[in-house]
Amino acid sequence: MKFDNLDLYAALMHELKNNLGLLIMTLDTIPVQGHPDHDQPLDEARLLSQRSVERLQQALLIYKADSGELHPVVDAYAPVEMLRELRDTAQSLARDRLHVDTLVGDQVPTLWFFDRSLVEMALINAIHNSLAHSRSRLRIEADMVDGCLAYTVRDDSAGYPDHILAYGSGGSGHGSAGTGLGLRFARLIAEAHDNNGRHGELRLFNEEGAVFRFLLP
Amino acid sequence: MSLKAIKGDEHTINYGTLRALVVDDYPGMRSALKLTLSNFGISRIDLAGSAAEVIFKVGNNHYDLILCDFNLGEGRDGQQLLEELRHRGLIKLETVFVMVTAESVYEKVVATAELAPDDYMIKPFSAEVMRNRLETILMRKLAFAKVYQHFEAHELDLALLACDALIRDYPRYLVDALRFKGEVLNTMGRFDEAEALYRQVISLRAIPWARLGLAKALHHQKKDEEAEELLHDVMEKTPEMVSAYDLLAEVRLNQNDSAGAQEALLKGVSISAKTVRRQQKLGDIAHERGDLDIARNAYSAVLEKGQHSVFVSPADFGNLCRVQVDQGDVGAAMDTLKRNRSLLGSSPEGQLVSAVVQSLAHTKAGKPEEAKKALEEANRLRRGVQRIDERIMLDMAGAFMTHGQHAEADAIVSEVARNAHDSETLLAKARKLYEESGRGEAGNKVLSEATADVRKLNNDSVILAHKGDYKGASEKLLTACRVAPFNTRILMNTIWVLIKRLHSDGMDHELLDEAIRLLGEVEKQSPGHARLVDLKSKLRDVEHHFGIRRKAP
Repeated sequence: MKFDNLDLYAALMHELKNNLGLLIMTLDTIPVQGHPDHDQPLDEARLLSQRSVERLQQALLIYKADSGELHPVVDAYAPVEMLRELRDTAQSLARDRLHVDTLVGDQVPTLWFFDRSLVEMALINAIHNSLAHSRSRLRIEADMVDGCLAYTVRDDSAGYPDHILAYGSGGSGHGSAGTGLGLRFARLIAEAHDNNGRHGELRLFNEEGAVFRFLLP
Repeated sequence: MSLKAIKGDEHTINYGTLRALVVDDYPGMRSALKLTLSNFGISRIDLAGSAAEVIFKVGNNHYDLILCDFNLGEGRDGQQLLEELRHRGLIKLETVFVMVTAESVYEKVVATAELAPDDYMIKPFSAEVMRNRLETILMRKLAFAKVYQHFEAHELDLALLACDALIRDYPRYLVDALRFKGEVLNTMGRFDEAEALYRQVISLRAIPWARLGLAKALHHQKKDEEAEELLHDVMEKTPEMVSAYDLLAEVRLNQNDSAGAQEALLKGVSISAKTVRRQQKLGDIAHERGDLDIARNAYSAVLEKGQHSVFVSPADFGNLCRVQVDQGDVGAAMDTLKRNRSLLGSSPEGQLVSAVVQSLAHTKAGKPEEAKKALEEANRLRRGVQRIDERIMLDMAGAFMTHGQHAEADAIVSEVARNAHDSETLLAKARKLYEESGRGEAGNKVLSEATADVRKLNNDSVILAHKGDYKGASEKLLTACRVAPFNTRILMNTIWVLIKRLHSDGMDHELLDEAIRLLGEVEKQSPGHARLVDLKSKLRDVEHHFGIRRKAP
C-alpha cells in the first residue's frame, strides 16, 4: 500500500494531535510538589507536549492553506478577554520560572473582529517561543497600532537572529530550525484577515529582547 | 499611547452552585474533563457517552452547563444533538452549551452553524482557557437573563426591548445583542427591520452570520436575486457555513429552480452529511425531480444518521422504500422493512407504513393477491392512526386505484386535498395518480370539490377580517378547521383571527382556549414552523392585555 494520499497524512496528524491533547490533560492533573526535581521535568514535559501539538496544528493549517481552504471565520470578540486568556495560559506554563505581565492600551475598543481560534494559535506559538528563550520575563500587550488591533509578545531573550528579522520584514524564513514554520504560520493567519482590502501583518523586531507583533485590521 | 495592566478576574462565578454534564464517547476524555471542571469547584457533574444518554439525562435534570464533544462516535454528532435539544425545548437558553471539537473542518462547521453553541473549544485546550471561556459565557448569560426570560415566555416585543437595553448600555454585548435581535425580528416576520439591522452590523464588519441573516430577510421579502448573490459571496468566503446552502436551496425553490436547489443541498451534505433535515429535504427534491439515485442516497442517510432522532418518523422509512420500489428494487424495499421490523412494529404509524410499502412492493413484483392483502391490512390499521403522512396516504390511494377500488381511493385523496389545499406538490402528485389510472377527469373533480370548500372558507374569512369583522372571519375558519383538521395553514390563520377577535371584541375564555388548543395542534403537526413563535407571542400579548397569567407552555 502506497501512502501518497495527503488526506491520510492529515488524518494521521489529527490523531496524533488528539492523543497529545489527552497527554496534556493527563499531565495537567499531576500536582506540583514544590520540589525542583519533580516540578521542573513536569513543566518541561508540559511545554514540550504543548509545542508538539502546536506544530501539528500549524502543519494541518498550512496544509489547508495550501489547498486554498484557510478562511478565517470572523466574529466580534473582546480583546481584553483574549489577553486574559493568553496571560493565564502563559502563566500556567511559566509557573515560577518567568514573570508574566499583561498590558492593555486605553485606545483598545471593547470589541474587535477576528477569527479567535486562528489568532490565538498564532499568539500562543509566539508565547511558547518566548517561554523557551526568555531569561526572566514575558509581557503580552494589546494596543492600537496604525489603526489595527495589535497583540505584542515581548521577552528579555537575546532577540531574534538576523534571518528571522529579515523574515519579519517580508523575507523568507525557510530553513531556520524550528521557528520557520511557526512564523510562516503566524504570517499566513495575519494576512488571511482582511478588512476592506487592508490585510493583517506580522512584525518582528528586537528591543530589550524579541518583539512579536501581530496586527489585525 | 498609554498602557495599563489588565485587572484580574473581575467577576467570579460561584461554581459550587452549578450542575454540569460532560458528554464524550471516549471514557478517558470524559474523566479528564470531569476532573478539570471539578477543579473549578463544580461538584455536581454527570457524564454521558452518547446522544441518547444525554436526551435521557437532560429530560430528568436541570443542567447549567453542558460540555459536549462534537464527535460522538456512531449516530448523532454534537451539533445534531444540540439542534435536537433546542428543538424539543429540552434545554433553555440560560443553559451553557460548549462544543468541544478536534477536527479543523468541523470546528468551522460548528462555529458557523445557525444554531450555534455558546462557544466551541478546539482540542487540546488548557484548564485556564476553559475557565476563562466559561467565565465569559456565564457573564454573558447573566447579562442576557432578561432577554432569554422574555423570549422563552414568548414575549417577543419585550425580548426586543431587553436587547435594545443591552445594545444601549453594554458595549461588550453590542454585537451579541444585535445578533439575537436580528433573529427575533426574522422570527417575528419583521423582515424589513431585520434587513436594516443586519446591514448595520455588516457596516461594522461583514460577519458571516450577519450576511446569512440579511440573506434570509431578503429572501422573505422576495428579494431573491439579491439574496442569492449574497449567499454566493458567503459561500466563497465561508464555505463551511452549511446553513447558507440550505437557504440557497429555499431561495432557488422559490424561483422554481429545483435543479439548483438540489445542487445547493448536495454541496451542503458534502460538508455536513449528518443533519437529518437537510438529507430529508434533498431526498424530497430529488424524488420530485425523478433523480432516484440521489433521493435513495439521501433517504438512506436520513435513516442511517438519524437513528433515535426526533426528526425521523416512520414516514422516512416510507420515503426510502417508495424510491426503492420506483427503481424496481423490490428486494431492497422489503429488506429495509425487514431490518427495521421491530422499530416499525412498535407504533401504529410504523405498522401502517410497513403494510403500505408491502402492498406497493407486491404490486411491482407482480403479486396482486398479496398486494391486495397488504392493502386491506393497511386500511384496517389506518383507523388507529390519528395523523398519517400525506405521501403514505397517496400511496394508499394509488394502491386502491390499482385494485379498482376507486371509491376508497377518492375518499383518501379528498382527505389529503382538504388538508393541503394550497400544496401544489401534493395536489400534482394526486393528479398524476389519477392520470396513471386513466381517470384524469374524475381526479380533477375530486380535487376541486375537496379543496373548494376549504379555499372558499379561507378566502371569505380574509375578506371579513379585512373589513374588521373578526367574529365572522373566525366562524368561517373554525368551520374550515373541522373539515380540515390537519391543514396547518388553516389552523394558523384561525389562531391569528381569534387573537384579532379577542383584541377587538373583548375576552372570551372559550375562544382563547380554542386558540391555545389549535396552537398545540400546529405544534404537534409542524413542530418548529416559522410562524409558531410569532403566533405564540401574539397570544401572549392578548393574555397580558386582559391580565391573564398562564405559565408558558
